[in-house]
Amino acid sequence: MNGRVLVAIALLVLAGALVFAARPHEATADERIDQITTELRCPVCQGLSVKDSTSETARQMRDLVAQRVREGKTNAEIEAEFRTAYGDWIFLSPPLSSWSGLVWLVPVAVIAAGLGLVSARLRGPGAPAPTAPSAAQVAALRERVAREEAAEG
Amino acid sequence: MSAGDLGAAALRAALFLSLWGTGAAIYAAWRRDARALHSARIAAGIGFALVVLAALSMMFALATHDFSILYVAENNARETPLFYSVISLWAALEGSILLWTAILAGATAFIAVRGTVAIPRLATTALAVMFAMLTFFLLLITTPAADPFARLALAPDNGNGPNALLQNHPLMALHPPLLYLGYVLTSVPFAYAIASLILGEGGDRWLVATRRFALISWALLGVGIVAGAWWSYAVLGWGGYWAWDPVENAAIMPWLTSTAYLHSVMVEEKRSLLRTWNLALVVATFALTILGTFLTRSGVVNSVHSFSLSAIGPLLLGYLVAILVLSVGLLLWRSGRLRDAGPIGAPLSREAIFLFQNVLFMAATLTVLLGTLYPLVAEAISGAQLSIGGPYFDRVEIPLALALLFLMGVGPQLPWHGASRATLERQFTAPIVAAAAGAVAALVTGTTALAAVLTYALGAFVIATVVQEFARGVRARRTLHGEDGVAAFSNLLRRSGRRYGGYVVHLGIVVVALAVATSQARTVDAERTLAPGESLQVAGYTVRLDAVRAVSEPQRESIVADLVVTGNGANQDLRPALVQYPSSAQAVGSPGIGAGLRDDVYTILAAYDQRTLSWATIRMRVIPGVSWLWLGGAVVGIGAVIAGAPPPRRRVVRMPIAEVAAPAK
Amino acid sequence: MMVVRVAIVVALLGLVITLGLAFRRDPHDIRTGTVGKPAPAFTLQRLDGSGDVALADLSGKVVVVNFFASWCLPCTEENPALVRVYERYRSSNVVMLGVNYQESRENGLAYVRRMGMGWTTVADTDGRVALSYGVFGPPETFFIGPDGVIAGRHIGPIDEATLVTGIETLRTRAAR
Repeated sequence: MNGRVLVAIALLVLAGALVFAARPHEATADERIDQITTELRCPVCQGLSVKDSTSETARQMRDLVAQRVREGKTNAEIEAEFRTAYGDWIFLSPPLSSWSGLVWLVPVAVIAAGLGLVSARLRGPGAPAPTAPSAAQVAALRERVAREEAAEG
Repeated sequence: MSAGDLGAAALRAALFLSLWGTGAAIYAAWRRDARALHSARIAAGIGFALVVLAALSMMFALATHDFSILYVAENNARETPLFYSVISLWAALEGSILLWTAILAGATAFIAVRGTVAIPRLATTALAVMFAMLTFFLLLITTPAADPFARLALAPDNGNGPNALLQNHPLMALHPPLLYLGYVLTSVPFAYAIASLILGEGGDRWLVATRRFALISWALLGVGIVAGAWWSYAVLGWGGYWAWDPVENAAIMPWLTSTAYLHSVMVEEKRSLLRTWNLALVVATFALTILGTFLTRSGVVNSVHSFSLSAIGPLLLGYLVAILVLSVGLLLWRSGRLRDAGPIGAPLSREAIFLFQNVLFMAATLTVLLGTLYPLVAEAISGAQLSIGGPYFDRVEIPLALALLFLMGVGPQLPWHGASRATLERQFTAPIVAAAAGAVAALVTGTTALAAVLTYALGAFVIATVVQEFARGVRARRTLHGEDGVAAFSNLLRRSGRRYGGYVVHLGIVVVALAVATSQARTVDAERTLAPGESLQVAGYTVRLDAVRAVSEPQRESIVADLVVTGNGANQDLRPALVQYPSSAQAVGSPGIGAGLRDDVYTILAAYDQRTLSWATIRMRVIPGVSWLWLGGAVVGIGAVIAGAPPPRRRVVRMPIAEVAAPAK
Repeated sequence: MMVVRVAIVVALLGLVITLGLAFRRDPHDIRTGTVGKPAPAFTLQRLDGSGDVALADLSGKVVVVNFFASWCLPCTEENPALVRVYERYRSSNVVMLGVNYQESRENGLAYVRRMGMGWTTVADTDGRVALSYGVFGPPETFFIGPDGVIAGRHIGPIDEATLVTGIETLRTRAAR
């Protein structure tokens, strides 16, 4: 019983910590600059973001984003400005709006298909637990142990 | 005869031997002919020696600056230091393929000598598969597509020198060979799997024969990836270690499927289930190494690592198609014979966790694969040009990684077949308390991003399960064998290496995860233009610029900023530089890194006064915990060594029936 | 299980076809950007400091905007073609405008004098104009019609024929 109380308290603390970490808060200007520049692709680099790149172009893009944030533009307005000049290419993750957003479905589809296949193979809760091994199974196991020992020795 | 002629001749002789060996091994497997097998063995041994000779000739040609060879003229210069000359063997396409071929020839020779002793027919067939693959690679490097010894009619006075990024850090000596070893060794389990399918043998003989190879190739891939991350951190100068670059993706994909395999193979060993699936994972792992090579060596995707366009692309694609047709065809043909009997287990059993883990690894792999290829698909279909990079992969892969971290703690704590409620309580009370402590620890140390807090919680959860397992194992040995604590601990690692080595690997992965979470969540940036004597403060560290100076070396010209870092107990000189190699148009940044167990201070010389060197723009990043990433990689490697080391010789003890058959605790 | 087998085969076929198609693709061919849209307006200071140039003042003319820098080797390569085309059209309604990219004014001006670039050159000190045109790196050339719409774009060093074709297309369109 003591153990269960402990687990309950631990789970409460854990939930509290996660809720605290996930609490919504207003992004500061610097955080917004980071958010936007993380998503922008540096045009002269190999797939690096504007936030990470040390190139002059990335520096100019960071300056531009910072200025737009100071001017009170929303993230969407700033992103639209870059889309006008560079197209969707400039974003490192494809927007959900167009058909290219389909790529977001990949992990979901794989997990759904995988779980479907796996759950078909799992024993239901009502099914019997395996019984004691038969003589044949034991013999097979003995043989395998001997073989593995031979292989490893 | 020059080194180039010698190498070229050696490769042609090796090609001939490899063709001969393929035929001899096929004949030996088909007719069970001992003489043919003997001849194939000799071909494998001599072939390996010849390819090594060719690789050494290339190293010699590079070291002696023999510019009559095109590869040397393009990747070497008189000024290149000896060390970087020698490792330029893998600085470009042709040399890399030569190294790859040498490793493959070594693996072929190893199977020919060691593998064909215990299980002749399976191993002989596998040897034929290895020979066939070796023949392909020898064909590649003896035709103009990737001929490392191609000649120049007129040798230039000096060569271009290696790619600037590849001669800027000694880790280049380590990272590509490790990765190539990992890549190439995946072909051994593949060859045995194909042999097993061709022969129509059910059973797990191929699996027992290749278990150690699978583990070794997995470990080398893993350590090679971490070494690559370290290299890019120390060289590329943006303060990160992973950018979801196509080449990084190409390396992580086979590592993911291989990790899935190392776990699901246990289900086959314990329960004789998942035979087709395990074969498929072995095939997928190998095919992904070839796909990765194709993607990065054919120039279809842009990458830091892509070499220039060459005729090798279509050949590699043809090879990939041949491998897919052969292995998928065999799998579909034989899968009826490999069908499992009966259901797998309860949802809360170890085997079920392995399956869920496999699903997550598949999702992770396919996401990386499709994310890498999607821009190609989109452009082929609609002409639209789009990018898929870090933000996409982070959003998908981080939740998957967290779920896998959770399963990594749960799986080893569950018994095979199913768990009772009492078992669950016994196994998970301490880990859950640890998870709560981990989350609180994250918040207290200022790591407040949700994903990072979850990583700390799950990391503590896994660490607690591992500690619990070790504590129980040590206690059991003390009671059973009367050993003291230290002896019991070392005996656990030596005698039950697969299990406890596996736990050490898990610990290493947790360390890596914590390092990634900490460094991603708490990195602080700043940038300022400084005159000598001025300083910049970030996160309790002060960086003072002492001087900006030009440094001239035979192979390069550099502008170096002399910095002194103080604060938080640090007192260190850092020298970030901009390095100009004659071979490259633009200067490469060389960061100055003050590494520490707590924080790394990462400094970059972003710009400087070109006329009088009177100022420098310094970008500074304080990156907490990043050193633990490399340490975690080392722990993973140590765990793999423990898990793969042969157990000490022992008397063959027939175990009582009950112990053999009973589900593990 | 038949479904799974078919799915696997189809997926692998798709993979191989994608990879095969990828050969036809040139990773340097970038088609996104501002072609067909109104040219973003700008006012920039002349490199020699003699006042400003505004794109709006050039409406009704064919404008060739060329982004260049002294540190850019392909720019040096394409410069003779630019000089010849400038001479050919200098007394017409075609305006050439060089936008100096990512460098100091002194370096840019020295380069312009050295290379004999007689046309107007301006300094894009903070890179804002290049960003608004979606420039990846110099040299890049934009053809702007009298209607103020970007009609064409060339990435990388340009030759005389491409320049003349770009200009003539716009002139005939304007004449009609």
